[in-house]
Order: sequence, then structure tokens, then C-alpha cells
Amino acid sequence: MELRDINYNKSDYVETASGNKVCRQTVLCGSQNIILQGKVIVQSEAIIRGDLANVKTGRYCIISKEAVLRPPYKKFSKGVAFFPLTMGDHVYVGEKSLVNAAIVGNYVYIGKNCVIGRRCTLRDCCVIEDNTILAPETVVPPFTRYSGSPGSCIGDLPECQADLMVDFTRSYYQHFQPTKLI
Amino acid sequence: MSYIITPDIVRYACTCGLLKPISNLYFCRYCTQLRCSFCVCHEVDTNFCGKCSENIPSSEARVKKNRCGNCYICPCCEQELSTRIASTKTLSDTEDTKTTPKKMYYLSCQFCRWSSRDVGIPDQSTVTGGWPERENVHANQLQELVDMYKAIVLAQKQQQEKDKKKQRGKYLSYTDRTGVTAAALRKRIGLPAELTHPLLRSKPKEPEPAVAKTEVEKLPIELFTEPINLMDITTVDQRLLQPEAQPTTVDKLFPVHKQLSIKRTLRCKSCEHNVSKPEYNPSSVKFKIQLFAYYHIPEVRIVTVEPLRAGQSCELILKFTNPSQHQTTITILELNLEQQEVEEAEVAPSFDNMENLSLQEKQQMSLPSMLSQPSSLMSMSTRSPTITVKPRKISENVNCDVDVPSSTFILPPRDDAAEYDDSGDTHNIQDDTKLVKWRKSNKAYVKLNVTPKEDLGLNSDVVCGFTMQHVYTNTITGQMDKKEPQKYDHKVKVFLHLGKLVGSE
Repeated sequence: MELRDINYNKSDYVETASGNKVCRQTVLCGSQNIILQGKVIVQSEAIIRGDLANVKTGRYCIISKEAVLRPPYKKFSKGVAFFPLTMGDHVYVGEKSLVNAAIVGNYVYIGKNCVIGRRCTLRDCCVIEDNTILAPETVVPPFTRYSGSPGSCIGDLPECQADLMVDFTRSYYQHFQPTKLI
Repeated sequence: MSYIITPDIVRYACTCGLLKPISNLYFCRYCTQLRCSFCVCHEVDTNFCGKCSENIPSSEARVKKNRCGNCYICPCCEQELSTRIASTKTLSDTEDTKTTPKKMYYLSCQFCRWSSRDVGIPDQSTVTGGWPERENVHANQLQELVDMYKAIVLAQKQQQEKDKKKQRGKYLSYTDRTGVTAAALRKRIGLPAELTHPLLRSKPKEPEPAVAKTEVEKLPIELFTEPINLMDITTVDQRLLQPEAQPTTVDKLFPVHKQLSIKRTLRCKSCEHNVSKPEYNPSSVKFKIQLFAYYHIPEVRIVTVEPLRAGQSCELILKFTNPSQHQTTITILELNLEQQEVEEAEVAPSFDNMENLSLQEKQQMSLPSMLSQPSSLMSMSTRSPTITVKPRKISENVNCDVDVPSSTFILPPRDDAAEYDDSGDTHNIQDDTKLVKWRKSNKAYVKLNVTPKEDLGLNSDVVCGFTMQHVYTNTITGQMDKKEPQKYDHKVKVFLHLGKLVGSE
């Protein structure tokens, strides 16, 4: 199915020179630590916790409504330390998902209502299906599809997954248009 | 999107007759045929561990029973175990620990909180390892059996080789020419004329057979009297995770080595060319050879469908995308399942026939120049195919007619820079405005009229299909006398699930 146009209220969104579209109704803590590389969409009520550590996304990332990006922490004998969260290009994070991963690779699809546990590593080209709970420190290898609680590998992905994700995020960005006033 | 999470609504018929979404199909350039995962040979390219992303050579993987030496999974919930540092300040000689606090490591599961301390595995002093391996009680017996079967295999191989040699020897040995046979020679020396059968001579040592006992242990009465604590008993999954031990109680669960993943090389079964070959690096998602249909066959997507009513024509808008670097012309033809079967019946008997036939077909189609040139298919026909796949009947219940448009349309080649080009790029293509509604770079939105069959009930799934003929430009390099890329008309059957039927008034 071809994507339908997704319309938004123009006054609700800020569009930067690099093409990022960020909703005003979001919580971006520590904005000096957040890097959006360009053509990134951050939708309403999303939370990005840049105050904990650096958050860096690649190009063509989509952070859906009420998603949370939160850098992971690690306990040491002398307290805790937060680690940066890096996200590759062409990543989709579904609605109400909580991403606590250390590394999210390129061409990753995270469905709705997922919990990506502390310090997980999602390698390139993987799909986390809706309602998946990934245990902390899980490594998701390339070309795998994870589902369930605790998340486990349920299948593999076609070899052209990278191109499918590029196509998907690009067309999402193109279809994400302000409502035209008549 | 549709290929990532939603069910497949547009499916292509593979050469073998199975229906697959385009993302799961391959396109062999040498046969110019679609191939699905069942029409290709799967070969293990590399073994790697999904957790530590380390390549493991196949010989090592075999020794380690396809498991990673360093990574463990939880015996309770099958999640990956992580190494934790334990503070060891409670050692007896306190002076030492203050100067050099000794770090000890244990394994723990972050999901179910199982830890290696639960089952009494002592903490280790190194990060990666030295975790005690448990011996299988039957290891010796298993090893004996394996050794015996290996010896039998070896003996059989030797026997076969000997037989071969004998046959050859009949004509080639010098003793034949001199008239002295090996048997006669043996007789003269005083040895028995025939050698004993090698299988009998070097009989592999058989292990001791299992002996049935007449007296067995009595059924312990505790099984009936003691109340069962289900928290202590393992589940079937937990037992099957460790088939050699099959622990019955939780306190016997030990960490399990993580199973290795593989990267696959795919090879066309007909021509033995690779259609997919991944890069060596486990975390790389690139390919050395990638002949996926997604890069060669135009992609069809449903944009909109009018509400479907039985017996009434409704409008269907499809989006065609040309993924290749060459311009193509698309013709929509009628889906003709019966005709295809007849063709196949003619073709099926021998593969050579099929190749010649298809060759002739292709020659007739468009290329007079091909007759004088040795084609790739010609040279290929000398190579015998490994497996001939007999196409099966396409099992799809098509219940909707497509009005086949009389005109064709052109799709320009894919241009990665087109994204940044805002100028209206119409490529000066004269389109049939009734067919092509709108186009942008290598995409065209095409209107078709479909009519669901009269006798369809409410809410039944409407499936339509058509044959898409597109011009495929073959650019195989390294062929003699070929400067110009060749063009083929390639036909694919496409099936679309349009959705449910609504009220038929």
C-alpha cells in the first residue's frame, strides 16, 4: 500500500533549515545535547532526554507520538553513569515506544508500544514488532525480526530490507505535509 | 511499509508458481527468471555470533557444536546473560583487598534475574570466561558410537575407491599386458588368491551394547507423598534447551552457550550463478552480489481502491516504480492461467528443451542480431542444471476482472538525484491520459478499472491479477561480442488483494 498523506497543523511544528520537523508539544530536555541530522520528524508529545546524555539521530528518522528516547545508564560501584544514545539513518520509532538503547543502527523499525531495554544494541536492518519488550543489554543481529516479551527472534528479513526502509522513511517524510488552508 | 509489518497485498508469481511479495524474490540475470527462496540453493557462507558479532570459522563452529564460546543465554528465559562485577571486600585477608581490590565476575540475566550464583557456580576472576563446562554423563558412550560410525564410513569409502581402481586396472595395468594377473602372481608367491573383504578385515570396534535389566529400581514413594513445588520444577522449554542434561529441577539449570547465526549465499538452482552473496563482516548489511527482484522488476503498489461492489466496475489506482537504471515500457496483459499451464506442459519434459524454447522465444521477440551472436543462454546450455524445478499451478482464487488497457506506458530510469530536483520532470513523455494519471521521476500512477465477479458474497476478499510485461535490459558484462545491453520482454504475473467486498446495491 502506498502511504497516505499525513497532515499536521503548520503552527504546531518547527521546521529547521536542515529539514527537521519538530512538534512544539514535545519535551526536549537538554536541547544542546540533542543532534538531529536532518529530515527528522519528531511528533507531538515525544520526549527526548538530552539532559541525561547526548542523543544523536541520523537522517530520515521518525519519532512518533508519545515515544521516549532516553539514554541508558550503567551502575558502577560509585554511582551511575549515563551513556549517549546514537541512532542511525532511516529509523522509525513507533507510538508510545520507549527506547533506552545505547546504539540503534541504520534502517531499524521499532513498532508501537515497545520497550527497548537498557543498553540494548540494535544492529542495522532489524525489525522490532509492536508490543515487544526487549530485555536490557540485548543485542539484535542484522536481518532479524524480534517480537514478544521477552523479545526473541521470530524470523528473518528480506535482503533488500535496507532499501525498503529507505523508501519507507523517505516517503513518510514526503507525505508528512502541513494541512493546506482552503 | 507494506513489506515491513503489514500482510502482503501485492504478490508476484515466481517462476515456480509460488506467490511472494517482491521483497522476497530474486531475479537471476543469467536465466532472466524470477526465483524465490525455494528455487535457490542455500549455502552457509559464514558462522557468526549474534551477540558478540564475531565470525567463527566453520571448522571451529563444528567443534563447538555451532555455539559461541563466550556468550551465554539464560537457562530460564533464553535471554542473553550479561557479566556482572561482584565486589569482593569480604575476603579474609583484608590488607590485600584494600590495595588491590580483586574483581570477581558472575553471570546474570537482566530479564528474569537468574544468576550463576543461584545454581552455585563459583564467581570467576576473568571477564570472558573459564565458566565450568558440565560433562555429559553419556559423553564417553556417545563418543564411542560416533567413532564407530566414522570408522564404518571410512571403510566404505575405501571399499568404493578400491572397486573403482579394480575396474580401471582391468585395462590399464601392466600385468594385463604381460599376461600375469594379480591373482596369479599372488598364487605364485603363496598367498591366498583373493584378498579378504576389507569390511570384514578391518571391522570397526563395536561398543558394548546396552543390556536390558530384569530388576529395575522401585518407584520412589516420595513421588506420591511429597507435595510438589512448581517453582522448583523446570518447564518443558527449559528442559529441551539442554537436551543432553534435561534438568528436572531449577537448581540444575546451567548457562547455555549461545547458538550461532549464519549468513547465507544463495545460488540459482538452474544455472548455479549466485543471486545473493553477503559481505564477510557479520554486522555489515551490504552484499557483494545482490540480484534481488526489488532492484530489477518494476514494483506495483496499490494507491487507492474505490469501494468494491459485486459486478460493478470500480477504479483502482496503482503506482509503478522502475528500480532499474534503464528505461522500461510496461504493458498490462490479461492474466491467463490456463495458457501458462499448456506452455509449461510442453516445456516441462527436459530442461534443455526449455532453454532452447525460451531462447527461440526471445529471439523471435525482438532481437534479430542475437542470432549471429553466441548468447549467454547458448553457452549456458552446456552446463547441466543441478535441479530442474517443475513449475506448479498458481493457487490463487482470482475473483475480479481487470479491464486490460490497450496502451502501454514508459517508466524512466531511476535517478537518485531526482529527489533534489524540484523542476517538473515530465521527460517529455506522451502519455495516454486515460491510463497514466500522474508521474514523477521513475514512478507512474496508473488507473485501472476492475470488476469483482457477480456471485461474490459480502465481505469476501477480492483478488485480482494481471500479467505485467516490462522491458528488461540485461547488462551482464564479460560476454563476447557484446557491446550493447540486450533487451528482453519479461512477463510477471501480479496478484493484488484489493480488500473486502462491500454492499452490492
